[in-house]
Amino acid sequence: MLKKRIIFTLLVEDGFFVLSRNFGLQKAGDLGWLKDFYDFDSIAFSIDELIVLDVSRNERDHARFASLLQDISRSCFMPIAAGGGIRCVDDVELLLRSGADKVVVNTSLFKDEGLVRELVRRFGAQCIIASIDFMTESSGRTSVYIENGKELTDLSVPQAIEHVQKLGVGEIYLTSMTQDGTGRGLDSKVIAEAGAIARCPLIASGGAGTFAHIAQALELPAVSAVSTANLFNFMGDNLTEARNYVEQSGTHLAKWSRFKLLAGPT
Amino acid sequence: MSHSEVCVINYGLGNLRSVENGLRAVGASVRVVNTPEDVTRADRLILPGVGSFNEGMKNLRDSGLSEAICSAAKRGTPLLGICLGMQLLASHGEEGGNTQGLGLIPGIVKRFAVDAALRIPHMGFNEVFPLKTSPLFEEVPVGSDFYFVHSYHVVVDDANDGLASASYGVPFMAAVHRANVFGTQFHPEKSQSQGLQLLKNFCAFV
Repeated sequence: MLKKRIIFTLLVEDGFFVLSRNFGLQKAGDLGWLKDFYDFDSIAFSIDELIVLDVSRNERDHARFASLLQDISRSCFMPIAAGGGIRCVDDVELLLRSGADKVVVNTSLFKDEGLVRELVRRFGAQCIIASIDFMTESSGRTSVYIENGKELTDLSVPQAIEHVQKLGVGEIYLTSMTQDGTGRGLDSKVIAEAGAIARCPLIASGGAGTFAHIAQALELPAVSAVSTANLFNFMGDNLTEARNYVEQSGTHLAKWSRFKLLAGPT
Repeated sequence: MSHSEVCVINYGLGNLRSVENGLRAVGASVRVVNTPEDVTRADRLILPGVGSFNEGMKNLRDSGLSEAICSAAKRGTPLLGICLGMQLLASHGEEGGNTQGLGLIPGIVKRFAVDAALRIPHMGFNEVFPLKTSPLFEEVPVGSDFYFVHSYHVVVDDANDGLASASYGVPFMAAVHRANVFGTQFHPEKSQSQGLQLLKNFCAFV
């Protein structure tokens, strides 16, 4: 049986990991900090997939991001997706050479359709994730944003999903900017609407603050994965407990045995 | 565990770095090779791969690697094909027009014919069940989850070559084995602890 996934998203700004709330960023630390304070190397053995995004507001330094990605991927043995500021085929090749298995595209989905079609043709649909960021108005209408959430498009979430599916992407990564970093729960109404028209795997993101939020979103039939960028979800044994909670609520996740190989030669 | 070097074959397709990272994590020494001479001299070979069957075979043939791989396998060099690398072990593939494969595991590579409700590619962690005992699955619990991403699968001519099965709408071959030749449709280098155990087992296989 194919399992659902819990994805951890690492946000990087100017070489540092950051926390995000409604797309406002707060600096957290470098890779050493991530490894020391969050025991990332061991946490990494409890997640199904990792997404690493360069969300730098200033001009992005692709080489520095790629080098960070290389360092992260050295001790991560699960699928890794990376993105942020992809504007040409070379940007994608650099990420794939640096340890990424898939790439996440956002702004180019709406500003350079030709590029996205070319990426799908060249690297395969399974390699291209369409990231759709949205805000929900009090009326319930959704508005899709690009450029790190700075620029409003004239599309709603369903319109954006139809658009990216026409481009042939392999997966959709849907993030509620309204819920992002609040820990108040995912926007299950919009996610369910999106799931009803999505013909490829859907990753739901934005607002997961408790194990129950993750479990509830994963229960939606059209949701393949839930992503959280909230490091605090994962302190101590929280991640193992989150997986147990989801499993007990009836959603099946992959199980891995405890890993002992890195302890040294046997 | 054996200290022999593992040579990862670079034929222009696939994420070699992940395979290298996985092998290093289990203590193997790794070299990426791209010439028939290096393949011929290798103690142990891994054929990785993401991409299409006909493109993969074209690259292997044009570089002279296909002959070197077949000769090495026939001399007894342990060989592990991963994902497209497993599919290329078969006699022929349907992807991109009927193409002859390496023929080390008699069989054909077909596209998934599953219900429209199931999305293609088959992507994510899925349970794998060994069909026979094998050094490759030593200390890997029955039904362990491995990471798959593929639209085609191998149908073996000889059921004895089937090593493990998984199910996606229909049962399909998750791993194959004949003598010193192994193949996994899943990505051990992307399958957490179980995947690393499997790579470790391959490095120890004699």
